[in-house]
Amino acid sequence: MSEIVVDNLSHTFGKNTDDALTVLRDIDLTFASGSFNTIVGTSGCGKSTLLKMMAGLFEPSDGRMTLDGEVIRGTDRRRGMVFQQDAVFPWMTLAKNISYGPRLRGASRKEQAEIEARWIELVGLKGFENRWPRELSGGMRKRVDIGRVYANDPDVLLMDEPFGALDAQTKERMQAELLDIWTITKKTVVFVTHDLEEAIFLSDKVIVMSARPGRIRHIEEISLPRPRSGEMRLTDDFIQVKRKLWGMLEH
Amino acid sequence: MKRFAFLISGRVILGAASVAAVLLSYSWVTGQPDNNPALLPPIPHIGEAFVVNVTRGTLIDALGASLYRISMGFAIGTSCALVLGCLIGWYKTIEYLLDPLIEAVRPIPPLAYIPIVIIWFGIEEFSRVLLISIACFMVCVVNVVAGMKNVPQVYVDAASTMGATRFQIFRTIAIPAATPFIFTGFRIALAAAWTTLVAAELIAAPSGLGFLLQEGRRYFLTDQVMMIIVIIGACAFTMDRTFRWIQARLTTWSEARE
Repeated sequence: MSEIVVDNLSHTFGKNTDDALTVLRDIDLTFASGSFNTIVGTSGCGKSTLLKMMAGLFEPSDGRMTLDGEVIRGTDRRRGMVFQQDAVFPWMTLAKNISYGPRLRGASRKEQAEIEARWIELVGLKGFENRWPRELSGGMRKRVDIGRVYANDPDVLLMDEPFGALDAQTKERMQAELLDIWTITKKTVVFVTHDLEEAIFLSDKVIVMSARPGRIRHIEEISLPRPRSGEMRLTDDFIQVKRKLWGMLEH
Repeated sequence: MKRFAFLISGRVILGAASVAAVLLSYSWVTGQPDNNPALLPPIPHIGEAFVVNVTRGTLIDALGASLYRISMGFAIGTSCALVLGCLIGWYKTIEYLLDPLIEAVRPIPPLAYIPIVIIWFGIEEFSRVLLISIACFMVCVVNVVAGMKNVPQVYVDAASTMGATRFQIFRTIAIPAATPFIFTGFRIALAAAWTTLVAAELIAAPSGLGFLLQEGRRYFLTDQVMMIIVIIGACAFTMDRTFRWIQARLTTWSEARE
């Protein structure tokens, strides 16, 4: 069980001041245990802010969030996060990056080596174990980011536009690989993007947000069969969902 | 690889060329018939002064005394800078507490403390080491603080969402991320140490390179003065290169090329 519930949450920057700015209003959401959820919306709709709050990087001004009934306060290894920016530590080799989390908790060398081997294999970086991050491409570094968070064994994965900076081909390949990993681990994922096709392809549930202040506009359950393949993006069912949601996004 | 080798050799050749150009111009000027060797000693005279001072043992003694002061002052000053700089850069409370103090004291040249240090501690070895420590500390602490403040937020956030405590982030993220800044601080401190050393020895010291300079002035030994200047330059250069070498070994991960 690892269910996240967002309960009547609002957030105002500079609350009780003259230039108070409300970025999120009346958000109620439930992310079922083991599900893949995506939040889409144009820039400025507060989707990244919402995700960072789930991570515990800062607190909402009103309302609350819970993970399995426990109120989220502060960061915690149970809620791992993949960031939009490159967050691979440049002073550690690829393998040391992967085992960073377990090392924090005093994992033995043997345990670290096992975790490194498993996740480097799963994110497709075998043979690059002892490379410095500067020697890797942008796509490879993103794989390190994802592998490192999974290797830390959180309950929930929060992903903030992780593929935003990648080229189209790399992006599609990484989406498919992410689904493979999700299928193996069955961990709850909350994914944020502005790319509607990415959202539909990956998710069980797509949440469409509107901007200024950020509100939930619509929630769409995606019933496309799994496992999903790249060709599915061209089927009528897929395009129908895309058309419907596209009309709801503010352009 | 071949191109890299070419760059290295090209670099050495260019560096040597500029040194050679200065030496050649100097020997051309001093070779002019109307040159006064007492003011501009020709290179052989400078070499002679070197040999004389080496055989008398004065150069080795002076070098030993000066290097001892430099290393002590540098070690004390930079250690304090490292500890305080990390605390100031990482903990807001300590920053608010100490930053105004350091910023107010920093612009004062270390040599301005000479009178008070002499009054308090006399013309002792301790006074000279203290002055060099102050100089090293002041220039180094700024770099350590800057390094701590420039730790990218995304690394801190990534570590904390993986469950790292504040102290673990400090140890495993902030320190390594700040290493390039800290090394720059060490190198600037080394330069400051030499500056202060010579000034302190000129004013009050019974030994050291600055003392030999002062002796040269008093007895009008321009060749000795020139020789000491070259020695100081060579020592500082060697030490700086050693630091760069250590830095390159410790930060192979960094994309920055020197």
